[in-house]
Amino acid sequence: MKLYKIAWRNLWRNRKRTAITSASILFAVFFAVVMRSLELGFYDHMIKNAIESYSGFLQIQHVDYQTDPSLENTIELDEGFIAQLENAEGVKAVVPRVQTFALASSGEQTKGALIVGIDPVKEKKLSNPEIRLVRHQFTKENIERLNENSGIPESVKEKLNGLLYKSYTNTGTIAMDLDLDEEAESFLLSILGQETAFPGEYLQANDDGVLVSERLSKYLKLKVGDTLILYGQGYQGATAADLFPVRGIVSIPNPELDNKLVYASLEKAQYFSNLGNRISNLAINLDDNSDKNLKYMEKKLSDMLNSETVTVENWKVFNKVLWQQIESDNNSGIIFLGLLYFIIFFGIFGTVLMMIHERYREFGVMVSIGMQKTRLSVIMIYEMILMGILGVLSGIILSLPLILTMHYNPVHLTGDMAQMMEDMGFEAVMPLASPGMYMVWQAVIVAIMVALSSIYPIRKIFALKEIDALRA
Amino acid sequence: MKVIELKKVEKIYNDSEVKVHAVRGIDLEFEEGEFAAIVGPSGSGKTTLLNMLGGLDKPTVGDIYIGGTHINDLSGSKLIDFRLFNIGFVFQSYNLIPVLTAKENVEFIMQMQGISQEERYQRTKALLEEVGLGDRLDSRPKQLSGGQQQRVAVARALASKPKFVLADEPTANLDSKSTENLLEIMEKLNKEENITFIFSTHDQRVVKKARRVITVEDGKVLSDERK
Ligand SMILES: Nc1ncnc2c1ncn2[C@@H]1O[C@H](COP(=O)(O)OP(=O)(O)O)[C@@H](O)[C@H]1O
Ligand SMILES: [Mg+2]
Repeated sequence: MKLYKIAWRNLWRNRKRTAITSASILFAVFFAVVMRSLELGFYDHMIKNAIESYSGFLQIQHVDYQTDPSLENTIELDEGFIAQLENAEGVKAVVPRVQTFALASSGEQTKGALIVGIDPVKEKKLSNPEIRLVRHQFTKENIERLNENSGIPESVKEKLNGLLYKSYTNTGTIAMDLDLDEEAESFLLSILGQETAFPGEYLQANDDGVLVSERLSKYLKLKVGDTLILYGQGYQGATAADLFPVRGIVSIPNPELDNKLVYASLEKAQYFSNLGNRISNLAINLDDNSDKNLKYMEKKLSDMLNSETVTVENWKVFNKVLWQQIESDNNSGIIFLGLLYFIIFFGIFGTVLMMIHERYREFGVMVSIGMQKTRLSVIMIYEMILMGILGVLSGIILSLPLILTMHYNPVHLTGDMAQMMEDMGFEAVMPLASPGMYMVWQAVIVAIMVALSSIYPIRKIFALKEIDALRA
Repeated sequence: MKVIELKKVEKIYNDSEVKVHAVRGIDLEFEEGEFAAIVGPSGSGKTTLLNMLGGLDKPTVGDIYIGGTHINDLSGSKLIDFRLFNIGFVFQSYNLIPVLTAKENVEFIMQMQGISQEERYQRTKALLEEVGLGDRLDSRPKQLSGGQQQRVAVARALASKPKFVLADEPTANLDSKSTENLLEIMEKLNKEENITFIFSTHDQRVVKKARRVITVEDGKVLSDERK
């Protein structure tokens, strides 16, 4: 008769109580796992959007760039060093950028603009502005033509007026707005796509044209092929002024940016700003984005740089706002779970108290006839562990289908929340994190609770006096 | 051969405000093979005396030797092991581990002693047959009557091959038929296998069966008669 078997049978002496206790653990674990998965998934999503596909996890910049991101704090990097960096182990992408401000004007209109100089090819590995290029737009004329097209069902036509002046980067989003099934109605979509085709091209390497963000282009009444005038100050006080043909219009989700962004090729931006070979920063993405590797790579690149004026920063520094937001949200999440588990702990502890109370005489008999107190404690511990395992496993198993489904098919948000996320430039989805370490942590927490609530019964067993217990 | 020796044993309970002098100077000896009853009215000190004999409680004054071992000196896990290997216990009621079957209850004590599975199995079967429960091996305690439970307890007490078996009012909760049945089994084991039984009772029918009757009153031995 193995001790764990006795423990197992003991558990089922009071089925209801064991079930309730296990169920409370199950509930806590289920809740904790789903909640953590939501939180972690959300952080992941934000980091993917803001860091992995925009700023990069690390940046090489001038030591003063963080406090004053002006042209005076730009850096000049050796070609050889950049090549070395690109080939360094663990480095996925190295993307140089220039950032400056200028007045943008066309015709009568003038407005402040943010000029971002990019390497059109390398940039595809990071922010990839090409996918933001407006390729379709609904106008009065093309909607009229579509309305006359007999191949388009009335139900779709009814919705077309709602899309007037809306622009799209791909037909997929048109399908979404029209509630069309992309696959089933591909024929319809191809007509819509052709009729609404919008001119524009992505920048070529060394291109001397620009991509203008949509809201800015509307303000300046710019069309593809028009000329944009930029006027500002270059490096070391030089005057910067030039004409730029508009190659395309880009639609930037963040409205603030969409009001002022102009993409130019790196070379053109450098020439315009009198920067020579200087860049504002070098954005770097890594193969492994864990905190540990980030620290390691930061150090490694720092050593490679070996400079006093140029430094390696990680995203937690140059995007402090996002990092702090994640941190504080994460902390409140953890505190909430702490409270939840605190309550569950008392449930477990209450069960333990009842178990001891009911079986005190039985313990007395067992010790009297010769059972060592350690063995008795082991039985007790097994009981607690089994109850914990029951709760943890069922909690995790129950949460898995939900988490896996929502990880692979994230919920699309609607309403204010969705708007807020889209304004920040994020896709308005709520992906759950894939199963991972955070699940193991729930098991660890339950294990700790079980261990803590075992202390009392074990002390009670070791303090047990046979004659007292026998009279109980 | 002497199995138990008590010398000037006294027990004073003073954990409450009033001190209770439960045993007031008892000298006793038990030989191997005895079938002895400790008799006396309720509160006379029978349980206190048996508890000390079984190493469940310590005398306040005096010495107790079991098989030559001065058990006053034992404590903690050593004392528990001493009981496991030397003393069989039958309590008044709720003797058995409720989640174990009759067979498992008997076997478990031998398992704690480290006896091989084969031997455990043989002995368990033999013992339960001996107490007339050969057909109830797999019954849980609550499926057995009070008398049957006490018989399993006797089988368990014997399983560890103790020097003697202590039974504190083993028949107190039994009807007369079960009482008679249990005593017959104990008598038989005593006669045929020379098992030493020391039991307390205040039931005259039980007393009659005993070959030695120790009468206690107010914590003292009033008489000690052998038949
Ligand atoms: N743990 C104890 N604390 C205090 N008094 C006790 C304790 N156990 C027994 N007594 C007292 O000791 C006396 C003898 O009790 P006990 O040995 O149980 O007698 P019996 O078994 O003959 O009924 C009684 O007066 C009883 O109240
Ligand atoms: Mg008594």
